[in-house]
Amino acid sequence: MQEDKLTLYGEQFNSRFLLGTALYPSPRSMRDAVAAAGCDIVTLGLRRQNPADKDGEAIWDYIRQSGCKLLPNTAGCTSAKEAVTLAQMSREIFDTAWIKLEVIGDEYNLQPDPFGLVEAAATLIQQGFKVLPYCTDDLILCRRLLDAGCQVLMPWGAPIGTGQGLLNRYNLHTLRTRLADTPLIIDAGLGAPSQAAEAMEMGFDAVLLNTAVAKARDPVSMAAAFATAIEAGRQAFRAGLMHKRQTASPSTPTVGQPFWHQKKP
Amino acid sequence: MTLFLIRLSGKHTEVSINHVLSTDTSGVAGCLMTTSNRPIAIAGAGLLGRLLAWQLLRGGHAVTLFEAGSLQQPAAAAHTAAGMVAPLSEAVDSEAAIYDMGMASLQLWPQWLQALQRESGENIAYQHNGSLIVAHPQDSAELLQFHSDLQHMLPGRGGFQWLDDRAIGACEPDIGAQFQQGLLLEHEAHIDNRHLLQALLGEIRRLGGDCREHCTVRTSAHAVDTPGGRERFDLVIDCRGVGAKSQWPGLRGIRGEVLCVQTAEVTLQRPVRLMHPRYQLYVVPKPGRHFVIGATQIESEDRGAVTLQSSLELGSALYTINPAFAEARIVEMSANLRPALMDNLPKIEVREGLLLANGLYRHGYLLAPVVVSHLLALIDGGELAFAATLGLAQQGENCRAG
Repeated sequence: MQEDKLTLYGEQFNSRFLLGTALYPSPRSMRDAVAAAGCDIVTLGLRRQNPADKDGEAIWDYIRQSGCKLLPNTAGCTSAKEAVTLAQMSREIFDTAWIKLEVIGDEYNLQPDPFGLVEAAATLIQQGFKVLPYCTDDLILCRRLLDAGCQVLMPWGAPIGTGQGLLNRYNLHTLRTRLADTPLIIDAGLGAPSQAAEAMEMGFDAVLLNTAVAKARDPVSMAAAFATAIEAGRQAFRAGLMHKRQTASPSTPTVGQPFWHQKKP
Repeated sequence: MTLFLIRLSGKHTEVSINHVLSTDTSGVAGCLMTTSNRPIAIAGAGLLGRLLAWQLLRGGHAVTLFEAGSLQQPAAAAHTAAGMVAPLSEAVDSEAAIYDMGMASLQLWPQWLQALQRESGENIAYQHNGSLIVAHPQDSAELLQFHSDLQHMLPGRGGFQWLDDRAIGACEPDIGAQFQQGLLLEHEAHIDNRHLLQALLGEIRRLGGDCREHCTVRTSAHAVDTPGGRERFDLVIDCRGVGAKSQWPGLRGIRGEVLCVQTAEVTLQRPVRLMHPRYQLYVVPKPGRHFVIGATQIESEDRGAVTLQSSLELGSALYTINPAFAEARIVEMSANLRPALMDNLPKIEVREGLLLANGLYRHGYLLAPVVVSHLLALIDGGELAFAATLGLAQQGENCRAG
């Protein structure tokens, strides 16, 4: 098989597993989990860390030492204006134009606000940002984000932190088939490695998660488990999954069996 | 007689603990229990510094206590804290060793507080009647997860039981009926921390401790550098928390914010912890019908005032526990930094003429008695039951009795 790299905004990555850096029992367990996951990209939020005065420097430095590409996010922002301001601060602090854009529309299930998201994405792209928007699985929203200039989309599997897996397979399948050339990363809602494998088998380009690893009893082992599942799912997708069918098809030829025993279903 | 040997890794020097207290241990071959009146400096008058100074003075040592801020109005995290001693609740988010150390502290606190009362007449409120964990029905998964984590972390140990709404009402009549299930954690206590800090200061002074406030220092082997110059001691003990950051790589502050309210309308017998997918907040009853609600946990060294977002989180947690809190008076809102190392575990470092203790994170009252006991054991001899967890084992071929 050909070399299989993930390409986002012209940059190539070996790993298709993006990990969040929040909620771990300690920074050390976070770094160990990132290493076990073999990630090339980690995401970090700074909304509540008083970034204007760089008060999160101690932990940011520790995350930098992981050697991964840093993808700052705008978690906790509820309007386009807040998200744009935070993105600008992130660019200055981390010296990167990449931003995982979150504009939250509902406080309880942290559902993205599609309208604020498109508005913020358009503004940021005009300012030279490489925007990776966290969005719902709505096709029209995804198209609008592409129209705004996003080159990567991050539809949810389920609301953040719920561990529900791929809630709307029909919508996700639609996105995959209709936006065949756009890198699509399933972001949020995955609780088990099997769910990540399923996303990869469906042809999604990568998976981003946090809670399922960080809140596991053993985050390092869980990171390794997800990494294995994501690789398996990707390999299966590339190998070509068989279609489900009704008729049993014996993998052993039935030579020697009289034809009158072969009943129709 | 006990001699502790500690080999400092990487330095290839064997430092026996008699060296910690400098020279002239002649005749006592490493047992320092008799070397009283040797001048010891303690940097940092937080919980660790005060407990340690008090115990050393009681043991007959001469102690000088340096504090960068005010002694009456401490800037220490221990002043801001809610003063919970909660081994079960805290073990779930850390490790079993924290539970073991916490259980040891639960044994030590009553003994120490009795001694403090006997000697000073100060009666510090300390209640060991458990804590209650509740979650709203829509967040019941959090409670189930917490329970299964407890069982996994502490198999067969027990100490916690499910309560239904009637049982919750029976043990905490003022908890709202909206909580249909909860967990009672039996082995948890809470302490009137501010009264304790005051009482310890009084005893330190009464016992002749030399207290220097508003005095920012740097510590090194046998020496403390103050704005007025270098002062020499037989031993320096650094427990400055986040204040020691420039001298301890990997030490960081984690912002925590608390709210203190007063109301006569609600009575709680014990701390109540509200489980929520995004934050865990607790309400701790304090004397004078005060309640401390805490605490946020933010990876930031921002010491600025409490944010509106945090005050909303803290306030709504309180309101949902009982809407009668709505008319409570806000007495105080404060923010502070918890000192933590990158593994969020406490650590004692032993160097020539210098002991450093730090990284108690959000477990100050849970771990302080154990950490102080270990510091005392390193100085005067005694058992080092948690040497490995406190990082002492890694510093040499363990601390071993000889």
